[in-house]
Order: sequence, then structure tokens, then C-alpha cells
Amino acid sequence: MRPSPWRKTSIAILSIAILNMGLASAAQAAIVDTSALVTTEREADLSTVRAQLDRAEVRAKFEDMGVDATAVDRRIAALNDRELHQMAVDMQNAPAGGDAVWIIGVVFIVLIILELTGVIDIFKKT
Amino acid sequence: MQKRAAGVAARFAFLLALTTLLSACVVRGPFIPANLAPGARASVELGATPFFPQKKYQCGPAALASVLVASDVVTTPDALTPVVYIPGRKGSLQVEMQAAPRKFGRLSYLLSPNMDSILAEINAGRPVLVLHNYGLPMLPKWHYAVVIGYDSARDRFILRSGLKQRDEWRVRTFMVAWHQAHRWAMVVLRPGEIPVIADPRLYLQSAADFEHGASPEDALLVFDAAVKRWPSEAVAWIGRGTAQYRAGKLADASQDYAAALRVDGSNAGARNNLAQTLLEQGCPRHAREQLESIDLAKIQSPLREAVADTRFHVDAAVAQTSADKPDCLIP
Repeated sequence: MRPSPWRKTSIAILSIAILNMGLASAAQAAIVDTSALVTTEREADLSTVRAQLDRAEVRAKFEDMGVDATAVDRRIAALNDRELHQMAVDMQNAPAGGDAVWIIGVVFIVLIILELTGVIDIFKKT
Repeated sequence: MQKRAAGVAARFAFLLALTTLLSACVVRGPFIPANLAPGARASVELGATPFFPQKKYQCGPAALASVLVASDVVTTPDALTPVVYIPGRKGSLQVEMQAAPRKFGRLSYLLSPNMDSILAEINAGRPVLVLHNYGLPMLPKWHYAVVIGYDSARDRFILRSGLKQRDEWRVRTFMVAWHQAHRWAMVVLRPGEIPVIADPRLYLQSAADFEHGASPEDALLVFDAAVKRWPSEAVAWIGRGTAQYRAGKLADASQDYAAALRVDGSNAGARNNLAQTLLEQGCPRHAREQLESIDLAKIQSPLREAVADTRFHVDAAVAQTSADKPDCLIP
């Protein structure tokens, strides 16, 4: 994971922007959202800077992956910060459910044999 | 590359030899009956679950449409393709599958990774969206399908899957494919529904995610159910309080925040919100009392800023009025 020059510049710009935003956003606070209270302390530490970077990263990847430009904004808006981060980190490799094709059915049959014989224990309590 | 292929082949041969050795000593199954919860039926098929045959690579939108429509959402796989399908991955990601129901006023909940929780949901009338992997960890082949029933006598799961409207799976085969996909299973919930087997923390996380775009009425249904199921969870009370607050019911909101504090007196979020509702009911002195009992050293940003801000407004209101209203709630 090498930070691109683009990413470094973004961090700098956003950091300044957020320093300026601090006062304005505090003034609107009233009721604390439930979501702010269920997140763990580690998650609460995550800055707005990271959320902005995640958003930019997911947008770029969506476009790379051929998602229709008109849908990208809506899809990003549908995700919360936690989900955006998961996407930013793992969009390339996370499981993507697609087809039920049995191209590698042989492999699957081997897996079933392994299970039948106890090499894989799928009924082990988790 | 050749070396690696040889390595894989060698490992393969080794495993085959191993399985032959072991095959004599392991006996298992049938699987469903031992896991059936008390009161559960021996076989269930949610036949009314709609079926949408998938287009190429688009089992995500098809399976999602199936569970959404089963929960009375009006939608189609075509409408969901721009929501969850990623052409470059030839598939749909779990994160987006999980986020999508919120757009339709529904919650999503990831079941705990065991067969019991799937069986319990089917028994409760909710089809279960599952991820399968028909490949290997290093060569995965992911597929979404919908479990709509089981038959314990024949040890089968019944699925809507791909192009098959009714696909019967041996439980063992199903479990292998599910296990290889890290046992991912999701249900779609109407506001007010909670899975039969549910973890309060995970449910409340999902409820809090839902709260953002939801109407106050829907949020109220969600947290009202949570309060009834888990009265000792402060966050459930806070969520219901906030839904009341958004619906303009300040007194009810105060009551719920106070209930949260009875469960967890150190919950600064609940106390801040209680102070805010008291302030808005013309009770700034009562609000200040609440804020003064928060230990600022123990809370972190951004909650700390929120409390400081509430304090600022409360102090201003105290300066501008001579006394609180007579009927202020004293929690």
C-alpha cells in the first residue's frame, strides 16, 4: 500500500479544510446520533479526513470498474463511513457474487470429499 | 509457474491419500434434526418467495430482489443492477448488498454463522440471502442464492438460485459451499422485526445505520422493538428517544433518555441528549444539572464537543430566563 502523491496532496488540502470546518460543525450539534454511540472508540477516532479519502477512492474504483457514472454518486451516498472504508480497502478482492457456473465443479467435489472424510469440519461450532 | 503447479499437484495427491485413509473412520449426519429449535417445524418451504432468474453475473440483483420483494418492497432485479452490480468485478459486493435494503426502508442483519440461525429465520417466515463459494480459497467462485426452506426428513435445503426457481441442496453440500464463503447470511427486516437469534449489539448497529435516512416513524418502530427485546441495552433506549425527538415528542424523548441512564448512568450521549430535550422544553436548569454530572475527562471527541456545545446553549438559556417551567421532568 503505497500512498500516491495524489493521496498526500488530498490529505494536506482536506486537513486545512477541516481545521476551518471545526467551529462551524460544532455549532450545529444538538442531539447526538445513535450511530455515534454504537461505534467503538477506535471507529470514533476515524477522522473526517479519512472518510473523504475513502469516498474519493471508492469513486475512482467504481469508475475503473465500469459502474455507470450517473449511478456512482447515489451508490456512494448509500454507504456510511464504515462501509465506505470497507469498500475503499477491499473492493478489488472482496467476494463478488456473480454466477452459479460450475466451471471448477471438480474442485468443489474435492472439497465435499474432504468434508465427508473429516479433513474439513464444517459442523464444528463457531 | 511450473514449480507452483507441481506443488499444487503434490498437495492435491497428498490430500487425496489422506482422505482415503480417513474415510473409514468418520460417520456423520443427518444434519438438520439435531439442530432444530424447540417448536420448529420439521419442514418449511416459503413458496411465496418471488423468483427472478438471474442475468449473466447478476445473481446479486436477482437474489436481493427476491428477499426485498418478500418483505413487501416493490422492486426488480433490473432496478437493483445500478445499485449493487459492479461490471468490473462481474458481481456484487457484500457491503453494498447489506447497505441496499436501507434505501427501501428495510434493515439488513447478518446472521450468526451457524445453521441454527438460518433454520430459525426460515421458521419465522423470512427467506435468507446467502453467499456460496464453489471454488477454493485461492480460486473462489462466489454466488448469491436465497434459502427459502428446509426438509429435515430428507436433510435438504431449498433455494432460489441462479436460473433455478427451486433448487434442492443436500445440507452437507450446502454447508461446504457456505462455509467456503465464510458463512455469510443476511436477512431483510421490516421496521420492528428482529431476527429470532440476534445479537443486541449487531442489531443496534444495523438499527443505527438505518436511523440516518429513515423516517422518524420507521426509526421509532425499529428501536421500540429493540427496547422491548433488550430493555437492558442503553443504546436501544437512546435510539427510541432520538426517534421520539425527531417526531417532535420531547417529553417522550426525555423519558427514554432517562431510561437509558437508569441502565447505564455513565452514558454521556444519553445525558447530553436528555439535557438537550430538557432545554427545548424550557428547563435549562434541569438540563445544566444533567450536563454537570458528565465526567468530561472520560469522554472523547466528537461527543466531548457536542456536550460542550449543549452546555453553551444551556448556559445562554439559563442567563435569559428567571426559572425553569414548573412541570419539568425530574429523572
